[in-house]
Amino acid sequence: MTATQKTNLRKAAAHGFVIFFLVLILVPFAMVISASFRQGNFAPSRLLPDKVSLDHWKFVLGIPYQEIVNPATGQTRIVKAETPPLRWFWNSIKISFLSSAGIIFLSGTSAYAFARLRFTFRSPTLSALLILQMFPMVLSLVAFYVILDFTGQYVKWLGLNTQTGLIMIYLGGISNYIWMIKGYFETIPPTMEESARIDGASQFQTFVRILLPISLPIFAVVFILSFISYMSEYPVASVVLQSGENWTLAVGANSFLYEQEKLWGRFAALAVLSGLPITVIFLLCQKFVIGGLTSGGIKE
Amino acid sequence: MSAHRGYPLRQILVVLVVLPALYLNFNIYQTGNVWIALAILIVIGLGAFVYLSDAGYTYRYLFPGFLGFGLFVIFPIVYMVFLSFTKYSSQNLLSFDRSLAMLEQESFSLGNESYKYKLYAQEDGRYILYLESDTHSEKRFVSAPFELTPGEQPQGTQEAQKLSPLPPGQEVPGKPLEFTQVTRQKLFIPMRGRQFALPDDTLVAMEGLQKFASRERLWTLNADGSLTNRQDGKVLRPDFRLGFFVTDKGEKVGAGFRTYTGFDNYVRIVTDPRIQGPFFKIFLWTIAFSGMSVVLTFGVGMLLAVILEWKELGFRRGYRTLLILPYAVPAVLSILIFKGLFNQEFGAVNEFLRGTLGFAPEWETNPWGARAMILLVNVWLGYPYMMLVCTGMLQSIPSGIYEASAIDGSGAVVDFFRLTLPLVLPPLMPILISSFAFNFNNFNLIYLLTGGGPKMVGGGIAGETDLLVNYTFNIAFRDSGTNFGLASAIATLLFFIVGVLAWINLKLSGRNVKI
Repeated sequence: MTATQKTNLRKAAAHGFVIFFLVLILVPFAMVISASFRQGNFAPSRLLPDKVSLDHWKFVLGIPYQEIVNPATGQTRIVKAETPPLRWFWNSIKISFLSSAGIIFLSGTSAYAFARLRFTFRSPTLSALLILQMFPMVLSLVAFYVILDFTGQYVKWLGLNTQTGLIMIYLGGISNYIWMIKGYFETIPPTMEESARIDGASQFQTFVRILLPISLPIFAVVFILSFISYMSEYPVASVVLQSGENWTLAVGANSFLYEQEKLWGRFAALAVLSGLPITVIFLLCQKFVIGGLTSGGIKE
Repeated sequence: MSAHRGYPLRQILVVLVVLPALYLNFNIYQTGNVWIALAILIVIGLGAFVYLSDAGYTYRYLFPGFLGFGLFVIFPIVYMVFLSFTKYSSQNLLSFDRSLAMLEQESFSLGNESYKYKLYAQEDGRYILYLESDTHSEKRFVSAPFELTPGEQPQGTQEAQKLSPLPPGQEVPGKPLEFTQVTRQKLFIPMRGRQFALPDDTLVAMEGLQKFASRERLWTLNADGSLTNRQDGKVLRPDFRLGFFVTDKGEKVGAGFRTYTGFDNYVRIVTDPRIQGPFFKIFLWTIAFSGMSVVLTFGVGMLLAVILEWKELGFRRGYRTLLILPYAVPAVLSILIFKGLFNQEFGAVNEFLRGTLGFAPEWETNPWGARAMILLVNVWLGYPYMMLVCTGMLQSIPSGIYEASAIDGSGAVVDFFRLTLPLVLPPLMPILISSFAFNFNNFNLIYLLTGGGPKMVGGGIAGETDLLVNYTFNIAFRDSGTNFGLASAIATLLFFIVGVLAWINLKLSGRNVKI
């Protein structure tokens, strides 16, 4: 066997392996899409639906449709979602967007102080931020409940079962992002800011006019990462948001899967509808995100 | 630092934020939360100082972030640690004062004075109670308007509502209800649970359907804090260990209260067999799960990264985009999708396996099946991140080292283990450790995929696949006991473990990152 033959064989093996792996990865997605078009609420189990129906999609979009209650008599009823599940997706987008914007503001300003200003306990504070953030949010739930219950007595829109209250809680998770942004700020030489200072700009002006515009890429990364993590946040949202019209996607999607009755078809339609745009956005911003992941934590 | 000269914009902004904050805080103070109001006042003062004085310049950038972090990260931790030293559960829910007040409201019928009563319906839907003494018709009393839900069963002893005397000649506002209206509208049901206090603090309550009669408080509070039963002379003492009022014979009376119990919760984790057995089992599984998740995701991610780094392989970019898909889809959705795919009876996985290999693993009922499923799903979710990180790492290795090895004549596999791995592993350590810590607390995966199931035999609420964080969550929120104290103790231990991990991580990466 010549060297080229050997290389070709290896290439074929590599392609074969990757394609086999991709099939394993992609089949679940295909099945969910199929389950969303399949009549009846079955667990995802087929690549192609046996009986195609748009009922689940109608339900998720809040469009009323006819359902056969009793096949023997042909009796039907009109089904319409009390809260259109699409609304949960919109709630999630809203909450994740506002939380991420807040996170950018809070972590960006803090990171600036850590990167460019000198103050006492600077490096112990940085370490403490990282260690304290390891405390899982789930276990803070008792305290979150107490806090929101208290604030709700004085400011209605910051109480339990409000989206603003949930956003407020989400704003605590900033320490990882402070680290990421601080790392990025430190790769930018301060010479430009220093010369601007000499020309009479204030410290704040050098931050807003010089450092921020150069650092847009890292803010994009932080925004996307925090957006995705809040889109997926379940436990805190499920405790804080009690009424159906306030739910987020995660809480709503899980509500289709009760122990007694699992509405897989509806879940699948909601999953495709809401998962798709997020996936597309992620893939479009791929370059940013990957750059942030590989440079944020460690530097060589 | 030179401040911005010109318009006092900053000062105006500070005033615009501080004034409403002070007003809000005044409300908090007025409702009796003095200490909280004081703490908030200090924070407002600090904020005003930071944004107005030049000395606080640096902290202008830190203040908002620290405020959020302090309130939503540090306060919950402190609160948890505090709760871990207390007895606080659904049985010991009330504060001591509330628990005592409930006992003080308990009463028994004296029957020495009876009253005619009438309910007056108000225009806003509320009611006023009117009482007239049977013996002295000039003794008349009215209540303030109160709400009544028809047919609602009274629950527990309620706080007595004050009655005020009605001067002679004055009428009660509203429309009086006939007796038949009271019974037909089922208003007597909630009324039976109500107590009212005359101006001289005598309690009155409904006696039968037609009358109100005076009642005597059941317990008298003694100077030493004990309570004496007026009917049978029994003495109750608060037991601060149990969090209950107990009789001399040790019977619990009334509702339990929250109490400080020192290290009891921690001792219970180690000694109570109902907690200790599941705790150590779950601890071991948590470690095994996190360790295996890291090794497997790293293995798969690295393998794919190495293959995709092979420059001569076509279509690499396309592969990479498709391979990171699991990372792009919101994890909650993926986890729930897998819950369906692995459904034991109807799921795709078992339909496929039944069709090809003729057997269907018990993903839901067998603990090992469930654990295998969890690991499979977690690898699916986690490998893209590892692949991306490894790719970055591989690209930073100078290709020169391979050329030297190629002269040696060693193969690709040997090269990988002898050259590549020793080079990339040390700088990847921090990422591997944070991945371990992340999985150690991977609440979502377990909660949504198996819910901790199958149940651990003889383990109470513990499930075979529960991680420590899920177990803690269940103790706090799902158990019929809702034991916040015990849950907080486990949470504190958990935090300690993960905190040490994070600290080690910091030391390790300290070589790479300069703080």
